[in-house]
Amino acid sequence: MSVSLTIVLPGDEIPSSALPKPQNQKKALTLGPGLRHIPPGTITTTIAGALVTDNKKNAAWIEYNSGRYLPSTNDLIIATVNTSSGEAFNCFITPNTPLATLPHLAFEGATKKTRPQLPPNALVYARVANPGRDSIPELTCVDASGKGDGLGPLKGGMVFKISLGMARRLLAGRKKGEVVVLEGLSEKVGFEVAIGRNGYLWVDGGNVKTTLAVGRAVQEVDEQALGEKGQRKVVERVLKSL
Amino acid sequence: MAPLPTADLTTLHRADGSATYTHLSHTIIGSVNGPIEVQRRDELPSSATLEVNIRPAGGVGTPRERHLETLVHDTLRSVVLVEKIPRTLVQVTLQVRSLPEEESGGADSSTTASSLTLLPHLLHTSLLALLSASIPLRTTLTSTVVAIPRDGQGMLVSPTANELLRRRPMRSIHVFAFDGEGKLLLNESEGEFGVEEWDEACEMAEEVCCKGDGGVGLGEGMDVDGEGQAQSLEAWLRGVVGRKVEVEQRWRVAT
Repeated sequence: MSVSLTIVLPGDEIPSSALPKPQNQKKALTLGPGLRHIPPGTITTTIAGALVTDNKKNAAWIEYNSGRYLPSTNDLIIATVNTSSGEAFNCFITPNTPLATLPHLAFEGATKKTRPQLPPNALVYARVANPGRDSIPELTCVDASGKGDGLGPLKGGMVFKISLGMARRLLAGRKKGEVVVLEGLSEKVGFEVAIGRNGYLWVDGGNVKTTLAVGRAVQEVDEQALGEKGQRKVVERVLKSL
Repeated sequence: MAPLPTADLTTLHRADGSATYTHLSHTIIGSVNGPIEVQRRDELPSSATLEVNIRPAGGVGTPRERHLETLVHDTLRSVVLVEKIPRTLVQVTLQVRSLPEEESGGADSSTTASSLTLLPHLLHTSLLALLSASIPLRTTLTSTVVAIPRDGQGMLVSPTANELLRRRPMRSIHVFAFDGEGKLLLNESEGEFGVEEWDEACEMAEEVCCKGDGGVGLGEGMDVDGEGQAQSLEAWLRGVVGRKVEVEQRWRVAT
C-alpha cells in the first residue's frame, strides 16, 4: 500500500485526478466513510483524515481513527446485553446510544423452546443487521441460512478496549492491516479472540495470565502504532513472560 | 498580526473528541460527545440535535454564557452535517480555563466587550473538538475579531487583551466567522460604526481567516508548519489536522 497520504478537511472537494482509476471502466465508483456525493458530479469530504483509494475495487474512502463507532450493516461487533424483553435482548453497541435489539431467535439453533438465556452484561459477538439510522438498531447472530458462523454469546475471557482503527486493521487481515502480533503469539500459546468493530477485543486464553498477556500485547501495538518489527519484539517479550 | 493559536487534539480520553486551545492567553478545553441518544423532547426526526454548554473560568454560567452558547450553537448547526445523523445528540462542552489578566478582573465596564472577544476562541475550540470526534461536517470554519478604536484610526485584527485595554474605549467590535470556502458564516457587531467601516473590517477579517486559500489545496496540510505568522487561520487549521492524521496513520510507516 502506498504511504503518501492525502490529508483532507471536511468540505474539501476531491478532484477527479485524486479518485481511483479503475482498469474496468464499467465498475461504478464506490464511496466509503467520510465522502459525500453532491449531484451532479462533486465529491466532498465530511471528516478529517487521510484519503485512501483502491483502484481494483474502484473505491475511495477517508481513513480516520477517532470518535465514536457508528454502526453500519454487516459490521461484526461485540455487544453487551442490557435487558431481556419478551422477544429480544436489548444490547449496548456503544455507551449512551439507543439500545439495539437482538431477537432471541437470531441465534444458531434457537427455537421457541430452546432460546438462549443471557444475563445482563453478557457479551455477544453479533452482526449489525440494521444500523438503525431512522429506527432502532438491529443485531443478529445468524446468516441467511441460519448458521452461526462463529457468532453468538462469548463465554469466559475478557474484553479489552482498542481503537476503532486497530479493530479495522485486525479484521482486514494480515496483508492489509499489517498486524502480526496475534499470529506471532498463536505460534506458541493457544487462545481465542473476537474482534468487534465497535472497538472491543475479546480474548479467552484458558487462564487469566494468557488472556491478559494477549490483550495487553494488542493494546500495546495499538497505542504505540508498532510496525512489524516492533510487533515481533512484543511477541518475543510476551512469550518469554508466559 | 497576533501569533497563531496553538491547539492539541484528543486531549481527554473519556470524551469522543476533545481539543485544548490556547490563543492570546485564552485557554479553552472543548469536548464533544456524539452521536449519542437524544432525549425524547429534544429529538428531531430529520436532523441531529446540537447542545452547546459553555462554562466560564470561574463560577457558574450567566446570561453572558447563555448568549454565547446560542451564537456558537447557531453557527455550528450550519457547519455540522446534521441530516446525516438524524435523531441523535451531539454534545459540545466548552470549559474556559484561563483568560488574560486584563479580562479576568471582574464585572467592570469591559465585560460587555469581552463577551465578543471570546467568541472566535470558542468557535475554534468547538470546531477542533468536532474534528477530533469525527462528526460529519459540511465544512470547516475560521473566525477572528476586529476592533475599531474611538478615533477610527488603525483597526485592530485579533487584538490582545492588553491592546484593547490600552486603547479603550473601543468604538465598535466585530466578530466574523468564515467557512472553508470563504463564505461569511457569522457576524456579530457591537458599538457604533458605518457601512464602510464594516466593509473594511470584514475584508481585513477575511484576509486573516482565508488568505491564500487558493494555494492551499489537497495534501498541502503537512508542510505549512513553521512558516511563521504570514499564514492564515485556514492554513493553521490544516496544519493542526495534518498532525492529527499523521499520528493516526503512523503505523503505516512504522517498522
